[in-house]
Amino acid sequence: MESSGFESTRKFFDIWLKNYEATYGRLMDMPALGPAREKSEKLMKEFSIGVNLYAAGMDSNINFQSVFMEAMRRMREKMATEMEGEISPEKYKEFYKIWVETYSETFKEFLSSGHFASDMGKFMSYFMEFQKHNREMLEENYLKPMNLPTKTDIDEINKELYSLKKTVKELTGKIKELSLMNPSKKGEDPGVHQTEEK
Amino acid sequence: MNELDLLEDYKKFKQGAELFLNSPDFSVGTTPSEIIYCEDKMKLVHYIPTVEKPHAVPILIVYALVNRYYILDLQPDKSVIKKLLDEGFDVYIIDWGYPTGMDRYLTIDDYVNGYVNNAVDNIREKSGLDKITLLGVCQGGTLSVMYAALHPEKVKNLITLVTPVNFDTDKGLLYIWARGLDVDRIVDYYGIVPGDLLNSGFLLTDPFRLMIDKYVGIFERIECKPNDTACSLRNEETVKNFLRMEKWIFDSPDQAGETFRQFMKDCYQKNLLIKNKMELNGKKVNLKKISMPLLNVMAEFDHLVPNDASVPLNGAVSSSDKETLIFPTGHIGIFVGSKSQKEVCPGIARWLKPRSLPDGTENGKSEKARQVKLERKRKNRGLKVK
Repeated sequence: MESSGFESTRKFFDIWLKNYEATYGRLMDMPALGPAREKSEKLMKEFSIGVNLYAAGMDSNINFQSVFMEAMRRMREKMATEMEGEISPEKYKEFYKIWVETYSETFKEFLSSGHFASDMGKFMSYFMEFQKHNREMLEENYLKPMNLPTKTDIDEINKELYSLKKTVKELTGKIKELSLMNPSKKGEDPGVHQTEEK
Repeated sequence: MNELDLLEDYKKFKQGAELFLNSPDFSVGTTPSEIIYCEDKMKLVHYIPTVEKPHAVPILIVYALVNRYYILDLQPDKSVIKKLLDEGFDVYIIDWGYPTGMDRYLTIDDYVNGYVNNAVDNIREKSGLDKITLLGVCQGGTLSVMYAALHPEKVKNLITLVTPVNFDTDKGLLYIWARGLDVDRIVDYYGIVPGDLLNSGFLLTDPFRLMIDKYVGIFERIECKPNDTACSLRNEETVKNFLRMEKWIFDSPDQAGETFRQFMKDCYQKNLLIKNKMELNGKKVNLKKISMPLLNVMAEFDHLVPNDASVPLNGAVSSSDKETLIFPTGHIGIFVGSKSQKEVCPGIARWLKPRSLPDGTENGKSEKARQVKLERKRKNRGLKVK
């Protein structure tokens, strides 16, 4: 795919990022002091996570814009050859067909590149980190002081519940085996909800 | 193309819009069934046989955890289930339900050695047979392969339908994208991975066709003949079929986090299953343990599970009786396309019928013994018998 007109945007953003990391970024990474140091550090961390996400987002955005540009360029070429440069209302269906085909093909080429896979992976990773940090801050600064249950609390309960259920199922299986070994003691299968046949 | 064509298209659009505005009633999964077993959110569904004496060995269909099983019974004239019933089979399917936060810690082991195993045991008990046929679909096929490798003594035949087992391929976008994904961060944040997130991935495989062209296409298919009742009915049916498919596509259950984590890492990223290195709860899944008859069914133009992902299964198992069927259709077309009813289901039925006699009854001698054993089992368990 030919390079489009977004190289200067990328260069500008790279310079901005380097400058940020050399100046404000260092300030944000500075160790906090005093009684509120733990909370402050966690809050400050949000800046670096946010910048990572912003950088990954910009990268993806520039790449997508480049693909759109490339698709438009190919479309122009096809219009000149296949539709002889004529865009009239009578040819709108043909135009639409060529448009869908061209854009689909161009995007497929881009989406199947390892470059896109790694960019998307990076973006998703920073996005998840950002969201997770936001949630932790919400829990730390709002929910816990208000004595409200948090996602972390619910996850702990869910884990406990999962483990208990698993144990109950294992024990139920063992009881079933034992009762089958001793047919004189008949009983319903615990843990197994057997419905009657209609 | 001229002004008349434009007018014709406008009429089609108007008729289509009217049909959507009148919101036609449509239903999915209408084949009569009963729920015979429940465990957590999983339900084991038994379809009421349509023949007096179905083939002795029942089929358990294991569908994928993503999307819902009713794609196999989308509408009466496009139903894999109905077709199999009409071919004389006794059919069961697992409905996985919709996982919630409570299910985030469920692992593949819980699905395979827990839910699938309990469903199999239930059917074995109900049928009085030691082995049943397992028919795995898509990701459900991968789970079925794992099950058949771990419990070969309970599986008489294994059928895999558009099933990935080899994840080291560049033929499908999902396989390429999965490599760069930080699965841990996704699961650690969400816990239960949203179905919508996965859906956006599927849509991204062909965004212009799946998000624009598909909706333009439905209006294209509207016929435009005024005062023609038959034509109006056809239009209504076209819209209903479209809405059924639309419902299924976006009816995406969330995914149990730990299962998603293991599936993505062990299968998509490390490709452990085909290398016989995958482990479930410490037990190695050795595909060589699969020695029962195997039918591997694929779709030639499958963009989600390319043939490269399915073909290696036949070489990885030790079954001597194994066959491959490839149909010129796509991943969804294999369930609902015209070829599905005319070729796919009859093809599966042709292969399965001679293999659906209970063990030791090939000459019919032991069938009576099976019935006696079944009756005794039912009495012992205190179950009501029809």
